[in-house]
Amino acid sequence: MSGFLYGAALQWKLDIRSKSLLVTCYIVPLIFFLLMGGIFTSVMPKMRDTLIQSMIVMSVSMGAFIGLPPSLMETYGSDVKKVYKANGVPLYLGLVTMFFSTFVHLMITCIIILLFAPVLFEAILPIHLPRFFLALAIYIVVSLSIGSILGLIVKNQAKLTMIAQLVFLPSILLSGIMFPADLLPNFLEMSGRIFPAFWGYRLMLNNGFRFENLWYFIAAFCVAVITCGMLISHTKDM
Amino acid sequence: MRSAIQVCELKKSYGSHVVLKGLDFQVEPGEIFALLGVNGAGKTTAFECIEGLRTYDSGMITVNGKMGIQLQSSSLPSHMKPMEAVKLFAKWNKAKIDDVMIENLGIKEMEKKQYIQLSTGQKRRLHLALALVGNPDIIFLDEPTAGVDVEGRLSLHEQIRKLQSKGKTIVLASHDMAEVETLCDRIAILNGGKIAFCGTVSELTEKVGKKYRIHIKTQQGTNTFETDNIEDALLSLLGELKHRGIGVLDIKVDKGTLEQHFIEMARREGS
Repeated sequence: MSGFLYGAALQWKLDIRSKSLLVTCYIVPLIFFLLMGGIFTSVMPKMRDTLIQSMIVMSVSMGAFIGLPPSLMETYGSDVKKVYKANGVPLYLGLVTMFFSTFVHLMITCIIILLFAPVLFEAILPIHLPRFFLALAIYIVVSLSIGSILGLIVKNQAKLTMIAQLVFLPSILLSGIMFPADLLPNFLEMSGRIFPAFWGYRLMLNNGFRFENLWYFIAAFCVAVITCGMLISHTKDM
Repeated sequence: MRSAIQVCELKKSYGSHVVLKGLDFQVEPGEIFALLGVNGAGKTTAFECIEGLRTYDSGMITVNGKMGIQLQSSSLPSHMKPMEAVKLFAKWNKAKIDDVMIENLGIKEMEKKQYIQLSTGQKRRLHLALALVGNPDIIFLDEPTAGVDVEGRLSLHEQIRKLQSKGKTIVLASHDMAEVETLCDRIAILNGGKIAFCGTVSELTEKVGKKYRIHIKTQQGTNTFETDNIEDALLSLLGELKHRGIGVLDIKVDKGTLEQHFIEMARREGS
């Protein structure tokens, strides 16, 4: 257990040092929050009701789909994975520590947004904070598990960047955080439902914590865990 | 006494490409043993099968003792610092950090650098330290001094000898024949997916047959002769030179280097 905790704490420090997670979990999402928060609330004052949820969806999508996969690829697509086997440590431990570490990074960013949005942009806080945090945690976990599949399946940095963008951009554009999803053509609106951002946004809204917004996360998480398990067991036989 | 490592009929293929065609060798406790072979001979595959890092198709591997594995120089996250890696490995192995070993390998002096900023020699030393963290009985060193300067190489050789003096078994793969000749008690030459030779360097010399090399420098130039019978060869050579009135400036006799024997062995196996 102490090995896991030390590994997780070390991974957290490495993420900050590596700059890529620092940029994707903190710098870009918080700059986006500062710029777009001002623009959104001045153009559409009604956005104050959902600004926190919108900015969090953007931050989590960026951290999970663009931040986490390269770290996983660095480990599982290279000789770094041998470190685990050489020390008799299960291969999935790397995934678990990186997942846990990115979860903490994203939670910190979301808390910063939650604290500063009301002060800077008069955003409205969620009514039921514990339920909001539960919804947020579920959304982060499922987004990271989908990001994990990307990091484990793609072994090439250029391909990974392209595929990550193919998941990230529709997540943001079709989720309803930039403009209401019901304004989109039916096909695009339905396509948006493939991505966790669509459901995460709804789950975090007041009165959104309902099974009709939750089933997607249960299904997506189960599929992601099975897929990651299969990918890691395939990696074992090098 | 049980062997530290026993490998029987080890076979491994990648698709249709057969890399190991039935390796047989054993490593005795407390010895320094080298696995030699040209690039692509299957040294790393054999190593990784024994270390448990890679699956194999058939055969049997028995390892009697705790293993410590020196990994290649690309196997740590770029931004990890040396002491962080040492602490992580110690936690995983539930071992205490040996401060003397850390001091001897100069890990503290690279403490502030990240892995990506270390020189090749520093990376090798760090990987050796990481292999030793769990206080293993058997230590695997894959190309331990590749890319390391002369000073670093000598320092690593000293560390390896110290480990042997503590009763550790050391198995290394290397391209550096001089290093192998200096360090190792026994060697195995891997050629064409099989062990072409396993024994001491002098046994290899015997097997290759060219026991002696005479390097002779005269007023007319330098020549090298190979012979199995040194006495007869020297007498006849010096007699001939005296008869022809050629003065000898220098004469050296050696038994040939491991590299020469290795090339000879590879040539024989290939033909």
